[in-house]
Amino acid sequence: MDASIFTIQPNAAEPIYRQLLGQLGRMIAGGQLAPGERLPSVREVAGHHAINPMTVSRAYGLAESEGLLERRRGVGMVVATQAAPAAGDQARMALLEPAARELVRQARELELPIESVLKRITSLWEG
Amino acid sequence: MHAAYAAQPSHPSTVNTPLEARALSHAFSGTNALLDINLALPAGSVLGLIGRNGAGKSTLIRALLGLLEPLSGQARVFGEPALQLSDAAKARLSYVPQQPEALSWLSAAEMFEFLSRFYPRWDGDFAKRTLERWGIAPKRVMAKLSPGERQRVDLIRALASQPQLLVLDEPAAALDPVARRELLREVALRAGEAGATVLFSTHIVSDLERVASDIAFMHQGRLLMHCPVDDTKERYARLWLPANQSAAAPETALSHRRHADGSLSLVVQREGDAWPAAASLPGARVDALGLEDLFVEVAE
Repeated sequence: MDASIFTIQPNAAEPIYRQLLGQLGRMIAGGQLAPGERLPSVREVAGHHAINPMTVSRAYGLAESEGLLERRRGVGMVVATQAAPAAGDQARMALLEPAARELVRQARELELPIESVLKRITSLWEG
Repeated sequence: MHAAYAAQPSHPSTVNTPLEARALSHAFSGTNALLDINLALPAGSVLGLIGRNGAGKSTLIRALLGLLEPLSGQARVFGEPALQLSDAAKARLSYVPQQPEALSWLSAAEMFEFLSRFYPRWDGDFAKRTLERWGIAPKRVMAKLSPGERQRVDLIRALASQPQLLVLDEPAAALDPVARRELLREVALRAGEAGATVLFSTHIVSDLERVASDIAFMHQGRLLMHCPVDDTKERYARLWLPANQSAAAPETALSHRRHADGSLSLVVQREGDAWPAAASLPGARVDALGLEDLFVEVAE
């Protein structure tokens, strides 16, 4: 995997480290990044996208603390071989995040109370 | 007119602060150019200085480096007063002005040969390689180069000396998009790996968003905000209030804009983790704000 797996939108309202973290979470949850797979180094990502290396380190560090990545001696960052269950949930939640935010935004625009929205989601869930 | 962002990052004023302004003020023929500027760049940081034309960016840069004597206040470079810099400090610093003129009777190759004797860490291979990539004839007298080519030579000169402090005034103007990306890559990697400290002014916000660790907004000689780029994006947002709620506008808002229908757009910042109370009023809406939008809102 090289640094082009990431897509950076510098002018998005979402900070770059969050974009990297979100993309990592989705790629791991979606199986595009397999457990044990080596990630491009901080230098490769920073150089390829012309972004600050500290931004990349921050994203990798957060991904490590969320259990998505592991630091392996002599290799660098790899996809965690055994993501803790909580991390698995978190990774899958990351996939849902944009849709959830959009739902909340639209509900606010329509001035719907949160209770009604949650009720509707629950009833959809229970089918 | 605007409340300056109060919680400026506080960095200890020591020799480990490569660049610092203390209460800098300056005026040109009675017009304020700099108003009480306080600024400190910690080692390894990349500060993007943004502002409209005439906001005072170049004046601030010149005052910071001791190229201009301010009316009041002081600038310090590597802990030394900027107006009396030692040769040792000068050798660790590179500055690229918007219109370089120095040594223009030499060719780029001759200037590099000359300068390589003064800079212990001069990277001749980099200089040669980059001249070629950026399409500069090394044997051409620099006075005959276009202003853009001349600035490119100066950027190469500045990078080849491998400075610990790199100051670039509007470096993007002279470069096509490919070369601009290359410059940003150099800036990012040198700061990240060599621990260089970088200050660059620009009006191209997306450049700044890529490489800057911190951002400073200048407007009419004042520093409106100075904070980490990521924080800025997460801390500020646009709050829209319908006309019937506009009286609830928080006083702390950074900018106010009233629309024809009486509704109000404000730039607000988080208090702790939460948006101001007005954000949860019926009909109120909070939208994320990119830096470009934020800049336009506060500089209007």
